[in-house]
Amino acid sequence: MIALVLFIVVLALPFILSFNPYYLSIFISALILGSVSLAWNLLAGVCGQVSFGHAAFFGIGAYASALLVMKASLNPFLAMGAAAMIGVIGGLIIGIPAFRLRGPYFALSILGFAEVMKLLTLNLTPLTEGSKGIFSIPSLPLIKFGGMTFDFYISRTTNYYLAAALMFAIYLSIYFLRHSNIGLAMSAVHGDEETASGIGVPVFKTKITALTVSAFFTALMGAFYAHYVHFLNPDSAFDGSWSVMPIVGSLFGGIGTLIGPSIGALVITGLDEFVFKRFFETGHKLFFGLLLAVVIVWAPVGLLGKWVKKK
Amino acid sequence: MLEGVDYSLYCLGLAFVFGIMRIINMAHGEFLVLGGYIGYWLLVKWGLNPLLALPLAAAIAAGASFLSYRAFLQRIRTTAELNTLILTFGIGIFLSNLYLQLWSADIRNIGVDWMEKPLKLAGIYISLGEIITFAISFIGVLALHSFLRHTKMGKAIRITAIDRDAATLAGINVERVDLLAFSIGGLLAGLGGPLLGMLSFVSPGTGIHITIKAFILTVLAGVGSIPGLIAAGMILGIGEAMTVTFVSSSYRELFGFVLFLVILLVRPSGLFGKRI
Repeated sequence: MIALVLFIVVLALPFILSFNPYYLSIFISALILGSVSLAWNLLAGVCGQVSFGHAAFFGIGAYASALLVMKASLNPFLAMGAAAMIGVIGGLIIGIPAFRLRGPYFALSILGFAEVMKLLTLNLTPLTEGSKGIFSIPSLPLIKFGGMTFDFYISRTTNYYLAAALMFAIYLSIYFLRHSNIGLAMSAVHGDEETASGIGVPVFKTKITALTVSAFFTALMGAFYAHYVHFLNPDSAFDGSWSVMPIVGSLFGGIGTLIGPSIGALVITGLDEFVFKRFFETGHKLFFGLLLAVVIVWAPVGLLGKWVKKK
Repeated sequence: MLEGVDYSLYCLGLAFVFGIMRIINMAHGEFLVLGGYIGYWLLVKWGLNPLLALPLAAAIAAGASFLSYRAFLQRIRTTAELNTLILTFGIGIFLSNLYLQLWSADIRNIGVDWMEKPLKLAGIYISLGEIITFAISFIGVLALHSFLRHTKMGKAIRITAIDRDAATLAGINVERVDLLAFSIGGLLAGLGGPLLGMLSFVSPGTGIHITIKAFILTVLAGVGSIPGLIAAGMILGIGEAMTVTFVSSSYRELFGFVLFLVILLVRPSGLFGKRI
């Protein structure tokens, strides 16, 4: 129900903002963050495995897609799919060692993983151009559909609606996954690992599944980001914000819900842009830290947790 | 290799809190950086005696961690482990951005003249500062170890770590033990901060790297093994130095992480820990 309301609001937003390109670009990043938050929440909220390093998958997706298009001249849409699969490989590399142990090992390993990926991108200059970054990444090609033309190079609106479509596709996939047997296994692992494994849930495999699906969607959004901004460098693609903002968004929106994280991310981006940055120009992210601490202590169900029944 | 021992001091607070309370303090690096900033102001700007400045930096960081425990952590101590992780992560973000706002992104190095003085030791030149930081690190680790072994309070902390319920039954106030342990964690971080500032630099972004490195080292040494930290620190220090020499200085950080993944796969209890 709330998902439907959100969907309508997101569809109507460009009209409310009268297609102002500046506001649209803010909300495109909000939609990207909303999608990553949904993916993060599948892993953390549903399966109970907190990740502090989703920037790793985001950056992998962004670089993979950009390089596949520019060096292997792949079609950008195909490259986005391939980049998402490369994100899955990244998830396996970190998940297989780190999920052998319970507790905080995974959360911290993946934080280190994100750092290492950034380091590699910085230093593998022949491939990634290092700290200089990659310029003029091609945008997504024109789509002609019926009488309409979707131009991703010129039009912010087109990009906005593609981001919105991706977000809802991700939401629907997660929704159906959550209501499948695998989803049930994930929430069993979240509830109590020992009991879960006692009744025959393959704990390790379930965690890996949650991680790879989450990595897939995060890398996909990273790929979209690359083609949307046309420019990547290690600092922007592996920016800590891609790890932090989904956590803040998810907690703020309600970690136990499926749609909450995306709403949380949209609200947070708006707040950040129009309120926080007015107070502290350089250190505006301190509000995110404060918000995390306050939400987790005093309102662990989040903004929507009270209204959305736990699904 | 000397630097490796300093690593063990940087991560001592995190390892200690994790070993005792099963809490990973994601804000550990930020407490350490706080100590570094305090040390910078006291030593460089005011020219205070280091013997006075170091304890002061440690005390302020301990105070910060005391406050964050009382204000936030205490309230969710008994809930899921996940929550404390996110909470301390939030505190870390708050602190690092506070530093950024207050003191800008500039990197600060604590350079004091007398520390640069070279000493000839067994044929190699080392600066006095390196020796002193080495000594402080070594003493810090040993002091914590003997505090836990030989004092009444240390024993209370260890018992609480082994079995909270039994400790409560034995008349130990476990709430206070937790508060104390967390503050000691901050104290140790605050002590490490100025040393980091002397040997390299502190900046708002340093904290998170320290937290990662501290966690890697804790896993390497084995959870709960305080003396193991020194050995693990040395291994990491030597490994990094060799990476710099034989591969490239830009891959320095990679060594620790690869080692960490291998340890997780091969021997998750760490080099010196008991088998889980």
